[in-house]
Amino acid sequence: MTNTLVLPPKPRTWPRNVGVVLALAAMTLLTTLPRLGGVEIDLGSIARNWSNAAERIGMLLQPDLSILPRTIEPMFQTLSMAIVGTVLAAALAIPLSLWAARPTNPNGLTRRAVRFVLNVVRAVPDLVYATILVAMVGVGTLPGVITLILFDVGIVVKLVSESIDSADSAYMEGGRAAGGTQTQINKVTALPQSWPVIASQVLYSLELNVRISAILGIVGAGGIGRLIDEVRGFYRYDALSTIIIEILVVVLIIEVVSNYLRKRLR
Amino acid sequence: MPERTPHTEVEGAESSAFVAWPIELDGVTVRYPNGVVALNNVSLSIAAGEMVSVVGLSGSGKSTMIRTINGLVPATNGTVTVGPHTVTTLRGKALRELRGSVGMIFQGFNLADRASVYQNVLVGRFAHTATWKTMLGMASSEDREIVLRALDSVGMLEKVWGRAGALSGGQKQRIAIARALSQEPEVMLADEPVASLDPPTAHAVMTDLERINTERGLTVLVNLHLMDLARQYTTRMIGLRAGEVVYDGPATTATDADFEAIYGRPIQSRDRLGK
Repeated sequence: MTNTLVLPPKPRTWPRNVGVVLALAAMTLLTTLPRLGGVEIDLGSIARNWSNAAERIGMLLQPDLSILPRTIEPMFQTLSMAIVGTVLAAALAIPLSLWAARPTNPNGLTRRAVRFVLNVVRAVPDLVYATILVAMVGVGTLPGVITLILFDVGIVVKLVSESIDSADSAYMEGGRAAGGTQTQINKVTALPQSWPVIASQVLYSLELNVRISAILGIVGAGGIGRLIDEVRGFYRYDALSTIIIEILVVVLIIEVVSNYLRKRLR
Repeated sequence: MPERTPHTEVEGAESSAFVAWPIELDGVTVRYPNGVVALNNVSLSIAAGEMVSVVGLSGSGKSTMIRTINGLVPATNGTVTVGPHTVTTLRGKALRELRGSVGMIFQGFNLADRASVYQNVLVGRFAHTATWKTMLGMASSEDREIVLRALDSVGMLEKVWGRAGALSGGQKQRIAIARALSQEPEVMLADEPVASLDPPTAHAVMTDLERINTERGLTVLVNLHLMDLARQYTTRMIGLRAGEVVYDGPATTATDADFEAIYGRPIQSRDRLGK
């Protein structure tokens, strides 16, 4: 019993924990009190409108397959919008990702500029882009594709540049010691090194694109969304059900394929 | 050395004007932004074609010192001269050109694991290639030839199209040596090149470095922390402790007492690699 362990003083963490709990409680309180500007959620309206809802659910449960032939063309339009958007976005996102990551762009000024612009691009919701672009370039697939490109570049650059930031970049020193410019080092070593991440995020953005481009038609940006808007306008919930199922199947197929491809990349 | 004569002839035919470069440090101090003084007023000169080891424990400043020679770490004070260049005054393109003449290998190999061996060795041609040509992936036939010859000289030619990450530690270091050789450098720096390798591989890599010195005539500066490797492979030894030179003399005849002075503690079994 001669050598009792001498522990260093344990850091006190409870004041911080209490602070966090209090802050969360205060935030909850503030956001739920209508008098303090909180949102009012009336759960009772679900019960009051139940008969209405039940009728529609009933129609949704009996899909009207006769709409199917009419969905094929807009569905292909949606798919091609998604693919074209992904490809163009990938072409833009690859150099931007390298400029937005610290190891591949040591220049703080340009790196922060790229990140700032992309933060702004990402902050705008996709439907807002689509609505504005429809007003600017007219109804059709073009505003849809541009919306998808803006949306994809935002997320792909963010995810890829963050993964370059956190990956081990010791190989950079090898290129620097050989007298390479940053661009040379990026092209020959950083690009192959980040390739799996880039491919994986681009495939992920393809998945998202199919989902988003299904909606974009509602604001006039082409694809199956236009048809959704039409049948919904005529209260044809049975036809809507068919379209939803079709989108679900297509999204699932793309997800399965992209999951398989992403696994192969590792 | 019967095979040395034809080899030097071939070398002579390719680069008849090859002259290795001397290295000179004059009052070099490196203070990192966090206030740590890694190198304190170090002055030394290394003649062209010498094979020198820099010995010291980790934290003694040997990694910092070797990096001041190619400007990877800028000196806070003092001047570093390599051949005709004053490294400490170089910036941008001039600094990259100097680095092109100074090959370097590392403890962690510093290869891009997902790129092919060929691409990794092509990195050595950066300083001799315009950036736009690299961007377009246009390696000249001369560059290609140099890369393949460098790989052949370290016995790794058959791995040229494989991924660098699929190789063993010793093979990776050989690729790194090929990358440095493809620069066609005047000086070769090695920062703890064998610290992550097993003993037989370590000896093989040290032998490669020795050959680079004797056959190609390059000035070789190699950081080591193991006394037996320093004694066996280098002719001159510089001992660093806490950022200062505490020994500078022949490596073969350095006594255990000399090493104890460098380490600042009695010799331990881990200070030797063994066979």
